[in-house]
Amino acid sequence: MTVDLKNILETLIFISIEPLPLEKIRNILTDFSTEDIQKSLMELVQDHAQKNRGIQIVQVAGGYMFSTKIEYDPWIRQLLRVDRKNRLSTAAMETLSTVAYHQPITLAEISAFRGLDSSHSLKTLLQKRLVKIIGRKKSPGKPLIYRTSNRFLSYFGLESLKDLPSQEEISKILEENQGAE
Amino acid sequence: MDTSESYRVKLEAFQGPLDLLLFLIKKKKIDIHDIPISSITKDYLNYLDQKEKINLEREAEFLLIAALLIYIKSQMLLPRETVPEDDIEDPRNILVDRLLDYQKIKAAGSLLREKENEALQKWQRTFLPPRDTEEELELTEISLFDLAEAFFTLMKKKERDNMRAIKGQEVTHEEKMKEMLDYLEKNSSLDFIEYFNQQETIAEAFVSFFCLLELIKARIVVAIQESLFHTIKVWLRKESPS
Repeated sequence: MTVDLKNILETLIFISIEPLPLEKIRNILTDFSTEDIQKSLMELVQDHAQKNRGIQIVQVAGGYMFSTKIEYDPWIRQLLRVDRKNRLSTAAMETLSTVAYHQPITLAEISAFRGLDSSHSLKTLLQKRLVKIIGRKKSPGKPLIYRTSNRFLSYFGLESLKDLPSQEEISKILEENQGAE
Repeated sequence: MDTSESYRVKLEAFQGPLDLLLFLIKKKKIDIHDIPISSITKDYLNYLDQKEKINLEREAEFLLIAALLIYIKSQMLLPRETVPEDDIEDPRNILVDRLLDYQKIKAAGSLLREKENEALQKWQRTFLPPRDTEEELELTEISLFDLAEAFFTLMKKKERDNMRAIKGQEVTHEEKMKEMLDYLEKNSSLDFIEYFNQQETIAEAFVSFFCLLELIKARIVVAIQESLFHTIKVWLRKESPS
């Protein structure tokens, strides 16, 4: 048999549109042990990172996917004729970071944190599918409860919520801001 | 962040009253835990005064915080009965806690912004259906009329099939929408005919259909017919790079 596990993995990731989770790979490659798969995946990721290539394999939103490397962005934009990708507005970003750090959360709670009505920016985030509704709170008015979505993770290139900027990083920023005065 | 010295910064420049307060506190270089409430209240009210009219819809929150500031100020002015020192809660704490929380959110937002910048420079292969380059468009996005027609044909057929009409639990619009999106997230596309055939009651099918229309309108999904008389497929619309 000349097929190589690493190559199989590479093709599977190549052909996937969404980040490909280990779970899915395992379901297909039942002949291989999980350890072997994980080992090969790690090698594959390293191979691509080291080799002098424009493309790498990244781990985002709990899966593996191909992505171009940062430095080649200008040429891609020329090819696709994109000047600049749209970024989130400040209001949306603030709302999103409230949800990210205080989820699960209701609209009223978000608005309280921000000190202003956040229904509009929350709607934008829902439309962009960066947050999702996970149910209703068992409290008066049964308000909807929100969480960040998988797309949120891939949008920011995070593997899981654990990769969110930590409390230490946040405190550091705050100190720097104070020092800058 | 705008920390320019000009004090004529418009209210619109702030993401709400807490943002404005933080700005004022920073400008005075004072400790957030020890806010001189009376002077900050004065600054804050000065800002509000710059506006000739307060748009209640948009700026009610600014007034709310103004009221809170005045309340705290009054609390601090009022003489208190003598209570052991430790028992007196500083009335400013309500505000300080909120400001600290808000400050964290803002800082986290700026870190996320960095991540966003980085992630936006990495590209992934996009998805099916292809971005519409005019010449080679094979898949046609179908119009709402096509969709409605397909739906009604389907429903007529269902009627003949004697669809069970058991009055049971009602499906809400939100639940259905969520169910549809979850389905799409998992399966990447949804077969229109198949999906509606699976619906248990006419009511449920109707609710689903309206959900679908709304999703199309919000440009969250796209409905595509591969060729004439073929089934209609619904795809999640990903952010196209344009």
